[in-house]
Amino acid sequence: MASRQGETNQRIEMRAENLRVGMRLGPIFYIVEPEQISAFASALRTSNGLYRGKSPIAPPTMRLLDYALLVAEHFKGGKGGVHAKHRCELHEPMRAGQAVRVDGVITAAERRRGKFYFTIEYETRDATDERLLVRQAITAVLLDPQGRMA
Amino acid sequence: MTGTPAVGESFSAEPYLLDEEAAQAYEFGIREPARRRRRNIHSDREAAAKAGFRAPIAAGEHTIAVAMQLIVDRFGERFFRGGCFDVSLIKPVFFGDTITPHARVVAERDGNLEMELWVENQDGARVLSGTARVPARQ
Repeated sequence: MASRQGETNQRIEMRAENLRVGMRLGPIFYIVEPEQISAFASALRTSNGLYRGKSPIAPPTMRLLDYALLVAEHFKGGKGGVHAKHRCELHEPMRAGQAVRVDGVITAAERRRGKFYFTIEYETRDATDERLLVRQAITAVLLDPQGRMA
Repeated sequence: MTGTPAVGESFSAEPYLLDEEAAQAYEFGIREPARRRRRNIHSDREAAAKAGFRAPIAAGEHTIAVAMQLIVDRFGERFFRGGCFDVSLIKPVFFGDTITPHARVVAERDGNLEMELWVENQDGARVLSGTARVPARQ
Protein backbone atom coordinates (compact mmCIF):
# COMPACT_ATOMS: atom_id res chain seq x y z
CA MET A 1 0.00 0.00 0.00
CA ALA A 2 1.43 3.38 -0.95
CA SER A 3 1.79 5.99 1.73
CA ARG A 4 1.95 9.71 1.53
CA GLN A 5 4.53 11.81 3.25
CA GLY A 6 1.89 13.92 4.94
CA GLU A 7 -1.84 13.39 4.85
CA THR A 8 -3.46 16.62 3.82
CA ASN A 9 -6.94 18.02 4.05
CA GLN A 10 -6.03 20.72 1.58
CA ARG A 11 -6.70 18.82 -1.61
CA ILE A 12 -8.12 20.99 -4.35
CA GLU A 13 -10.75 20.25 -6.98
CA MET A 14 -9.51 18.36 -10.02
CA ARG A 15 -10.43 20.89 -12.69
CA ALA A 16 -8.61 22.65 -15.50
CA GLU A 17 -8.05 25.96 -13.73
CA ASN A 18 -6.38 24.17 -10.82
CA LEU A 19 -3.84 22.30 -12.93
CA ARG A 20 -0.83 24.58 -13.15
CA VAL A 21 2.54 24.07 -14.77
CA GLY A 22 5.24 23.66 -12.14
CA MET A 23 2.91 22.20 -9.49
CA ARG A 24 4.82 19.51 -7.60
CA LEU A 25 3.11 16.24 -6.68
CA GLY A 26 4.26 13.77 -4.06
CA PRO A 27 6.35 12.28 -2.75
CA ILE A 28 4.67 8.95 -2.18
CA PHE A 29 6.43 5.88 -0.85
CA TYR A 30 5.74 2.17 -1.16
CA ILE A 31 7.31 -1.25 -1.10
CA VAL A 32 7.29 -3.21 -4.37
CA GLU A 33 5.22 -6.26 -3.44
CA PRO A 34 5.97 -9.71 -4.90
CA GLU A 35 2.24 -10.48 -4.82
CA GLN A 36 1.54 -7.51 -7.05
CA ILE A 37 4.24 -8.58 -9.50
CA SER A 38 2.66 -12.00 -9.66
CA ALA A 39 -0.88 -10.62 -10.09
CA PHE A 40 0.21 -8.16 -12.76
CA ALA A 41 2.06 -10.88 -14.68
CA SER A 42 -1.03 -13.07 -14.47
CA ALA A 43 -3.16 -10.29 -15.93
CA LEU A 44 -0.77 -10.10 -18.87
CA ARG A 45 -0.91 -13.91 -19.20
CA THR A 46 2.86 -14.08 -19.26
CA SER A 47 5.06 -16.75 -17.76
CA ASN A 48 8.23 -14.70 -18.20
CA GLY A 49 10.81 -15.86 -15.67
CA LEU A 50 11.82 -12.30 -14.79
CA TYR A 51 8.62 -11.99 -12.76
CA ARG A 52 9.16 -15.20 -10.79
CA GLY A 53 11.71 -16.82 -8.55
CA LYS A 54 13.55 -15.54 -5.50
CA SER A 55 14.05 -11.97 -6.69
CA PRO A 56 11.36 -11.11 -9.21
CA ILE A 57 11.40 -7.76 -10.93
CA ALA A 58 8.33 -5.64 -11.58
CA PRO A 59 6.99 -5.54 -15.14
CA PRO A 60 8.04 -2.24 -16.73
CA THR A 61 4.53 -0.84 -16.71
CA MET A 62 3.34 -2.18 -13.35
CA ARG A 63 3.72 1.14 -11.56
CA LEU A 64 2.76 3.28 -14.51
CA LEU A 65 -0.35 4.28 -12.57
CA ASP A 66 1.66 5.95 -9.85
CA TYR A 67 0.73 9.23 -11.51
CA ALA A 68 -2.82 8.61 -10.33
CA LEU A 69 -1.63 8.26 -6.75
CA LEU A 70 0.21 11.55 -7.08
CA VAL A 71 -2.95 13.17 -8.44
CA ALA A 72 -5.09 11.68 -5.66
CA GLU A 73 -2.83 13.18 -3.05
CA HIS A 74 -3.24 16.71 -4.38
CA PHE A 75 -6.68 16.74 -5.95
CA LYS A 76 -10.17 15.60 -5.13
CA GLY A 77 -13.33 15.09 -7.13
CA GLY A 78 -13.31 15.28 -10.87
CA LYS A 79 -13.96 12.54 -13.37
CA GLY A 80 -10.35 11.76 -14.17
CA GLY A 81 -8.85 11.82 -17.62
CA VAL A 82 -8.38 9.88 -20.81
CA HIS A 83 -4.83 8.65 -21.34
CA ALA A 84 -3.44 10.01 -24.61
CA LYS A 85 0.34 9.62 -24.56
CA HIS A 86 2.95 7.97 -22.39
CA ARG A 87 6.71 8.22 -22.34
CA CYS A 88 8.94 6.10 -20.14
CA GLU A 89 12.68 5.70 -19.54
CA LEU A 90 13.76 2.57 -17.72
CA HIS A 91 17.00 2.97 -15.79
CA GLU A 92 16.99 0.02 -13.41
CA PRO A 93 14.44 -2.67 -12.63
CA MET A 94 12.24 -2.36 -9.56
CA ARG A 95 12.63 -5.48 -7.46
CA ALA A 96 10.28 -7.19 -5.04
CA GLY A 97 10.77 -5.84 -1.55
CA GLN A 98 12.37 -2.62 -2.71
CA ALA A 99 11.26 0.61 -1.03
CA VAL A 100 10.70 3.34 -3.58
CA ARG A 101 9.77 7.00 -3.68
CA VAL A 102 7.77 8.73 -6.43
CA ASP A 103 7.80 12.47 -7.17
CA GLY A 104 5.98 14.29 -9.94
CA VAL A 105 5.50 17.68 -11.50
CA ILE A 106 2.92 19.08 -13.91
CA THR A 107 4.89 20.14 -16.98
CA ALA A 108 2.10 21.11 -19.38
CA ALA A 109 -1.50 22.24 -19.01
CA GLU A 110 -3.19 23.72 -22.03
CA ARG A 111 -6.37 23.74 -24.08
CA ARG A 112 -6.00 22.50 -27.64
CA ARG A 113 -8.75 21.95 -30.18
CA GLY A 114 -11.39 22.28 -27.49
CA LYS A 115 -9.85 19.77 -25.09
CA PHE A 116 -7.79 20.35 -21.98
CA TYR A 117 -4.52 18.40 -21.98
CA PHE A 118 -2.15 18.05 -19.07
CA THR A 119 1.20 16.32 -18.68
CA ILE A 120 2.67 14.94 -15.48
CA GLU A 121 6.31 13.92 -15.39
CA TYR A 122 7.22 11.60 -12.53
CA GLU A 123 10.23 9.71 -11.30
CA THR A 124 10.55 6.60 -9.21
CA ARG A 125 13.73 6.28 -7.14
CA ASP A 126 15.05 3.82 -4.62
CA ALA A 127 13.86 5.29 -1.32
CA THR A 128 17.13 4.43 0.43
CA ASP A 129 19.85 5.69 -1.89
CA GLU A 130 17.76 7.68 -4.43
CA ARG A 131 18.98 5.74 -7.46
CA LEU A 132 16.77 6.57 -10.42
CA LEU A 133 14.71 3.58 -11.48
CA VAL A 134 12.05 4.91 -13.86
CA ARG A 135 11.23 8.31 -15.33
CA GLN A 136 7.83 8.70 -16.98
CA ALA A 137 5.47 11.27 -18.44
CA ILE A 138 1.76 10.93 -19.03
CA THR A 139 -0.36 13.23 -21.15
CA ALA A 140 -4.10 12.97 -20.61
CA VAL A 141 -7.28 14.76 -21.63
CA LEU A 142 -9.14 16.00 -18.57
CA LEU A 143 -12.77 15.03 -18.17
CA ASP A 144 -14.92 17.91 -16.99
CA PRO A 145 -17.26 17.67 -13.94
CA GLN A 146 -19.97 16.25 -16.21
CA GLY A 147 -17.62 13.52 -17.41
CA ARG A 148 -17.10 14.99 -20.88
CA MET A 149 -13.73 15.73 -22.40
CA ALA A 150 -13.14 19.19 -20.94
CA MET B 1 11.63 -16.05 -29.88
CA THR B 2 14.86 -14.72 -28.40
CA GLY B 3 18.01 -13.02 -29.64
CA THR B 4 18.66 -9.63 -31.10
CA PRO B 5 16.61 -8.93 -34.20
CA ALA B 6 18.25 -7.35 -37.23
CA VAL B 7 17.34 -3.96 -38.59
CA GLY B 8 14.20 -4.40 -40.66
CA GLU B 9 13.02 -7.45 -38.73
CA SER B 10 9.49 -7.48 -37.36
CA PHE B 11 8.10 -9.52 -34.50
CA SER B 12 4.73 -9.87 -32.82
CA ALA B 13 3.10 -11.38 -29.77
CA GLU B 14 0.17 -13.75 -29.61
CA PRO B 15 -3.21 -11.98 -29.78
CA TYR B 16 -4.50 -10.90 -26.36
CA LEU B 17 -8.21 -10.96 -25.63
CA LEU B 18 -8.93 -7.89 -23.53
CA ASP B 19 -12.27 -8.85 -22.06
CA GLU B 20 -13.87 -7.99 -18.75
CA GLU B 21 -12.06 -10.85 -17.03
CA ALA B 22 -8.71 -9.56 -18.28
CA ALA B 23 -9.62 -6.04 -17.17
CA GLN B 24 -10.50 -7.29 -13.70
CA ALA B 25 -7.22 -9.20 -13.49
CA TYR B 26 -5.39 -6.06 -14.55
CA GLU B 27 -7.24 -4.01 -11.94
CA PHE B 28 -6.23 -6.53 -9.31
CA GLY B 29 -2.66 -6.37 -10.59
CA ILE B 30 -2.41 -2.61 -10.27
CA ARG B 31 -4.01 -2.70 -6.76
CA GLU B 32 -3.95 1.05 -6.50
CA PRO B 33 -5.33 3.60 -6.88
CA ALA B 34 -8.61 2.66 -5.27
CA ARG B 35 -10.43 5.18 -7.44
CA ARG B 36 -10.37 2.55 -10.18
CA ARG B 37 -13.10 0.74 -8.31
CA ARG B 38 -15.45 3.68 -8.69
CA ARG B 39 -17.82 3.87 -11.62
CA ASN B 40 -15.88 5.40 -14.46
CA ILE B 41 -15.26 5.16 -18.20
CA HIS B 42 -13.56 1.82 -17.61
CA SER B 43 -16.51 0.22 -15.87
CA ASP B 44 -19.69 2.17 -16.42
CA ARG B 45 -21.62 2.48 -19.69
CA GLU B 46 -23.12 5.88 -18.84
CA ALA B 47 -19.78 7.37 -17.80
CA ALA B 48 -18.21 6.06 -21.00
CA ALA B 49 -21.02 7.55 -23.13
CA LYS B 50 -20.58 10.97 -21.51
CA ALA B 51 -16.90 10.89 -22.43
CA GLY B 52 -17.81 10.09 -26.03
CA PHE B 53 -17.29 6.33 -26.12
CA ARG B 54 -19.86 3.79 -27.30
CA ALA B 55 -19.08 1.44 -24.39
CA PRO B 56 -16.70 1.13 -21.41
CA ILE B 57 -13.13 1.11 -22.58
CA ALA B 58 -10.09 -0.73 -21.34
CA ALA B 59 -7.57 1.31 -19.40
CA GLY B 60 -4.96 2.73 -21.76
CA GLU B 61 -2.31 1.53 -19.35
CA HIS B 62 -3.49 -2.03 -19.90
CA THR B 63 -2.89 -1.75 -23.66
CA ILE B 64 0.55 -0.23 -23.01
CA ALA B 65 1.37 -3.10 -20.65
CA VAL B 66 0.47 -5.69 -23.28
CA ALA B 67 2.63 -3.85 -25.83
CA MET B 68 5.64 -3.65 -23.54
CA GLN B 69 5.45 -7.32 -22.66
CA LEU B 70 6.31 -8.00 -26.30
CA ILE B 71 9.55 -6.07 -25.81
CA VAL B 72 10.32 -7.74 -22.47
CA ASP B 73 9.74 -11.18 -23.94
CA ARG B 74 12.12 -10.42 -26.79
CA PHE B 75 14.89 -8.56 -24.97
CA GLY B 76 14.59 -9.60 -21.33
CA GLU B 77 16.16 -7.59 -18.56
CA ARG B 78 18.15 -5.43 -20.95
CA PHE B 79 14.96 -3.44 -21.65
CA PHE B 80 14.88 -2.51 -17.95
CA ARG B 81 18.37 -1.02 -18.09
CA GLY B 82 18.41 1.81 -20.57
CA GLY B 83 15.25 1.01 -22.52
CA CYS B 84 12.49 3.48 -23.18
CA PHE B 85 9.20 3.87 -24.99
CA ASP B 86 7.03 6.71 -26.23
CA VAL B 87 3.51 5.78 -27.28
CA SER B 88 0.20 7.37 -28.22
CA LEU B 89 -3.17 5.76 -27.54
CA ILE B 90 -4.93 6.54 -30.77
CA LYS B 91 -8.15 4.52 -30.54
CA PRO B 92 -10.08 3.13 -27.58
CA VAL B 93 -9.97 -0.59 -26.82
CA PHE B 94 -13.37 -1.94 -25.86
CA PHE B 95 -13.95 -4.98 -23.67
CA GLY B 96 -13.99 -8.00 -25.94
CA ASP B 97 -11.44 -6.62 -28.38
CA THR B 98 -8.47 -8.78 -29.24
CA ILE B 99 -5.27 -6.79 -29.48
CA THR B 100 -1.94 -7.83 -30.97
CA PRO B 101 1.31 -5.95 -30.38
CA HIS B 102 3.89 -5.65 -33.16
CA ALA B 103 7.38 -4.19 -33.39
CA ARG B 104 9.84 -3.57 -36.17
CA VAL B 105 13.49 -2.65 -35.75
CA VAL B 106 14.07 0.49 -37.78
CA ALA B 107 17.66 1.38 -36.86
CA GLU B 108 20.67 0.64 -34.71
CA ARG B 109 22.05 3.92 -33.48
CA ASP B 110 24.37 4.95 -30.63
CA GLY B 111 24.36 1.45 -29.20
CA ASN B 112 20.58 1.12 -29.20
CA LEU B 113 18.01 -0.66 -31.29
CA GLU B 114 15.23 1.70 -32.29
CA MET B 115 11.85 0.20 -32.97
CA GLU B 116 8.52 1.18 -34.35
CA LEU B 117 5.84 -0.23 -32.11
CA TRP B 118 2.12 -0.62 -32.66
CA VAL B 119 -0.91 -2.53 -31.41
CA GLU B 120 -3.76 -3.56 -33.67
CA ASN B 121 -7.26 -4.65 -32.76
CA GLN B 122 -9.08 -7.58 -34.35
CA ASP B 123 -10.06 -5.39 -37.31
CA GLY B 124 -6.48 -4.46 -38.06
CA ALA B 125 -6.95 -0.91 -36.80
CA ARG B 126 -4.10 0.58 -34.83
CA VAL B 127 -5.06 1.42 -31.25
CA LEU B 128 -1.54 2.30 -30.08
CA SER B 129 1.40 3.64 -32.01
CA GLY B 130 4.86 4.71 -30.95
CA THR B 131 8.50 3.86 -30.57
CA ALA B 132 10.70 1.86 -28.24
CA ARG B 133 14.44 1.70 -27.70
CA VAL B 134 16.54 -1.08 -26.23
CA PRO B 135 20.30 -1.30 -25.69
CA ALA B 136 21.65 -3.30 -28.63
CA ARG B 137 23.83 -5.38 -26.34
CA GLN B 138 23.64 -6.45 -22.75
